[in-house]
Amino acid sequence: MSLNESSLPLPGRDLRLPFGLAVVVLACCAPLLLGNYALHAVIISLIFLLPAHGLNLLVGYTGLLSLAQAAFFGVGAYVSALMAVHWGTPFYVNLFGAGLVAGVLALPLGIPALRLRSTSFVMCTLGFVIIGQAVAKNWISLTRGDMGLSAIPKPYFALGPASFAVSGTVGFYYLVLAIAALATFVVWLIVTSPAGRNMVAIRENETLAESVGVPTWRYKLVVFMISATFAGFGGSVYAHYLTVVSPLTFQMSNSTLMLIIVLGGGPGTISGVVFGSLLFVGLSEALRIAPELRMVAYGFCLLALVFWFPKGFAPLITRFWTMLRGRS
Amino acid sequence: MANTVHRRAFCLLASAFCLAGAPAFETSALAQDSSIRLGIVAPMSGPNARYGAFSLRGAQLAAKDINAAGGIDGRKIQVFSADSQGTPVEGVSATRRLIDQDKVDFLIGDVSSSVTLAMQPVVEDAGVLLINAASSNPKITYAAGVGGFKWSFRNYPTDENRALIVAQYAAEKRGFTKFAVLSVDSDYGRSAIEFTKKYLPRFKGQILSEDYYKEGEVDFRSVLAKIRDSGAQAIIMYGLADTTPIVARQMTEVGLAGKVPLIGNGEFNTEKTIKSAPKALEGAVEAAAWLPGWDSPKSKGFVARFTAEYREAPNNHAYVHWETVNLLGKAVEAAKSTDRAKVRDALAKIKYDSAVGEVTFDDHNQAKLPMILLQIEDGKPVVKGAYSADIDYPR
Amino acid sequence: MLFQISEQIVNGIVTGAVYALVAVGMTMIFGVLRAINFAHGEYYMVGTFGAWVAIEYFDLPYPVAIVAGVIATAFVALVIGQFVMRRMVGAPAEAGVLATLGIALILQNSVILLFGGGYKFFEGGYIEPVTILGVSLAEQRLLIIAVAVLVFFGLELLVTYSRMGKAMRAVSQNVECCAVVGIDVRKVVVRTFVLGAALAGLSGVLTAPVNVSVYGGMGELITFKTLPIIIMGGLGNVRGTFFAAMILGIAESLVATYVGLQFRDTVGFATLMLVLMWRPHGLFSAQARY
Repeated sequence: MSLNESSLPLPGRDLRLPFGLAVVVLACCAPLLLGNYALHAVIISLIFLLPAHGLNLLVGYTGLLSLAQAAFFGVGAYVSALMAVHWGTPFYVNLFGAGLVAGVLALPLGIPALRLRSTSFVMCTLGFVIIGQAVAKNWISLTRGDMGLSAIPKPYFALGPASFAVSGTVGFYYLVLAIAALATFVVWLIVTSPAGRNMVAIRENETLAESVGVPTWRYKLVVFMISATFAGFGGSVYAHYLTVVSPLTFQMSNSTLMLIIVLGGGPGTISGVVFGSLLFVGLSEALRIAPELRMVAYGFCLLALVFWFPKGFAPLITRFWTMLRGRS
Repeated sequence: MANTVHRRAFCLLASAFCLAGAPAFETSALAQDSSIRLGIVAPMSGPNARYGAFSLRGAQLAAKDINAAGGIDGRKIQVFSADSQGTPVEGVSATRRLIDQDKVDFLIGDVSSSVTLAMQPVVEDAGVLLINAASSNPKITYAAGVGGFKWSFRNYPTDENRALIVAQYAAEKRGFTKFAVLSVDSDYGRSAIEFTKKYLPRFKGQILSEDYYKEGEVDFRSVLAKIRDSGAQAIIMYGLADTTPIVARQMTEVGLAGKVPLIGNGEFNTEKTIKSAPKALEGAVEAAAWLPGWDSPKSKGFVARFTAEYREAPNNHAYVHWETVNLLGKAVEAAKSTDRAKVRDALAKIKYDSAVGEVTFDDHNQAKLPMILLQIEDGKPVVKGAYSADIDYPR
Repeated sequence: MLFQISEQIVNGIVTGAVYALVAVGMTMIFGVLRAINFAHGEYYMVGTFGAWVAIEYFDLPYPVAIVAGVIATAFVALVIGQFVMRRMVGAPAEAGVLATLGIALILQNSVILLFGGGYKFFEGGYIEPVTILGVSLAEQRLLIIAVAVLVFFGLELLVTYSRMGKAMRAVSQNVECCAVVGIDVRKVVVRTFVLGAALAGLSGVLTAPVNVSVYGGMGELITFKTLPIIIMGGLGNVRGTFFAAMILGIAESLVATYVGLQFRDTVGFATLMLVLMWRPHGLFSAQARY
């Protein structure tokens, strides 16, 4: 469906290499082309890309609609912030700590939740976000409640005796870009593996998948954990970028933004989700030019999306791609 | 069929791209004049929108009057505003936009402490002067001045001052010892109670029950009935202005009105709030940075001016933003420049006559300010005085 | 102690009655559309604003304002029903989520755009307290309970005996068969939607006097309270929804008293998750739909 997956040799010009190079060059030169503010918007979209990738594995490939991403995003943010503030650990340790805790936490939550079907499952995952926020607000000895955790140090790397901190918008941009690129690559590895095919089989027909020997229950649980891990990574980067974490990290609107990115970008495609995160976070920032109308306009964009692009923007990208290749 | 859909899709996509790309190309239109570019970050939407609206109006009024009087040494103040929605991530986005797109040199904001805490490192990196006018969390200035952030100032008293003053008044002047807590579940409500707990033992007070309501809560019957049965003498409430009438009405409903007063902060003193449940608010005690009833010529002048301009009485947030814009004007005047560093140094040394007394900044960039305390008597707010308390910085 | 508990149960019933009125509309819409309506609380808000406008701008008395609020909500719902909801027949769940989220954003922010984001003061209603068996209650709360009981009684009659009710039940069972036997599915969907939204609006107008404040964001909170109720009530089950709303109202009231007000909002989802672990289809079987 997406360009990343079309590995079959197709007739026409092969533009993958030049196109890929153009994307890489564009991504690396972005700080030169964009102002600080636009760069900030790109950083936010790349941060949200991480939980969106996770959600895409769940929604787009396995067919489970979940609103729990904000809960794991929040857990990741808090774990990372607490580690950085109390122990002063380097960034990559916090990042993996956040992903690990979120992923492991998804196991006991996923076991009961995944037994539920459709609407009940959606509500149960929404419940995780609401309860997560209540925990963050009331476990004051750990999270400082609503006062939040502030003064989270800038991400720093320690390699032996040498250590350096990432500072400034440009530095942070490259850090986030590297993480996002790596995450995208990992997702690509997952979905192109046999496991990825099995996930799609579960999405298309769970009973059939089960009957041909796919261990559907185990698959769903593992995918749920992987998606939580990605959300945890996102939360970690978010905490270090904003330097404050408050219970507001656990909010339904974060979950819905991630869902909009996936559904709007194109569930079940990688390029669609990458495009979706840039588009929908960018849209939210761009609409700041009309602050009063901002959210109303956003609402209309969602409706337009549902009616005109029921499969997200991915089919458009594919079409654009075929046009470029000159085989329409 | 597919073709038409796609054509429409392309148009929409193209326009979305233009919209998303637009801000990136706006940057060239930079003002070359020597005006004072001031950004206001405030919650224009969300649960604190009321405070944001008052804040912006206060600041705009000050700028308008300064400009009408010829500006500061001929420099006009240009006000830019951005919505923080009261959340850190939106607040940081708003701050970045003001700094990068609108090229502001000075910032005032935000109301919510968590947003201000998130803004501090951003202005530090950008070297833009931030004067907070309405966040009360003590941490903001623990980390400023000698505490670290060189570009953050605060012209507002902290939660710690307020908690101490209210507790002291309730214990010494009213003789209360048993309290119930009913505060808003936010950094402001929670940290005010944290400091109240620190000081209550000093006055032999005890807290019988502790409840926090979320922004937008409307049903207090259960918790008020519990407070009634617990035998508390007063309810310590650091709440939202908008919720006060709901609580007051339900106090009447469960039979607390006239027996257990509210003490703390939450705009108990506005005419509309008192009218909603006069019996419940009788005897309420409130401490705030400023109140419309404060008796000084400058304060009265501001109330008259604001009311004439907006046909509505100002609140605390309108005042502090109005005063802070004037304070910034004085600092620019003293620096004889709009250079950020020079203005910052001038601000650190300033002696400014505000409506509530002389303002100076300490080495943590925290203004030394009094808290004004009032009590509702016969349905009218009566000012009981202005109290100051020293801040104990953690060593 | 016993008295305190019984007073809290009365408080819970009042809260439950408000939730029930909103949730029943949501569950009926789910029945015919199979879509979770994230915008449902917004109709509660629209109804309240309608009544507030009638009182504030036109000086109408409260009983007239109730009618005005409900009509305003029904009108808004009709427009949305015609342009959006009827197209949702047979659409996947994801489309429903996105569309209703979009509608919630549009409604909420249009109201803020029109009237400002600040809280409005709602004058009117019957707020004098009366004492019944030692429990002090505002008259308005008694009115809310009475209306809720009447509405549910009426709905039972409607879905059991009327033509529209029968059509609604049919659509909720099998959309394709309805089309075969000549039921206009889209019309049924729009009618159910307008009815459900109007009930939410009614609930908003009735609650406004005791809640005093009216503001654009008020609907969202109600949406989150009613979502667990409709699942517990067994999606699409009117009677089940009524009992689930009462259970949640009472549970919230007891938690607010004995645990702390700050835990109140988690009660709904925490109860829901416990219930789902024990009965994955909700407390009331989805088989007994309507």
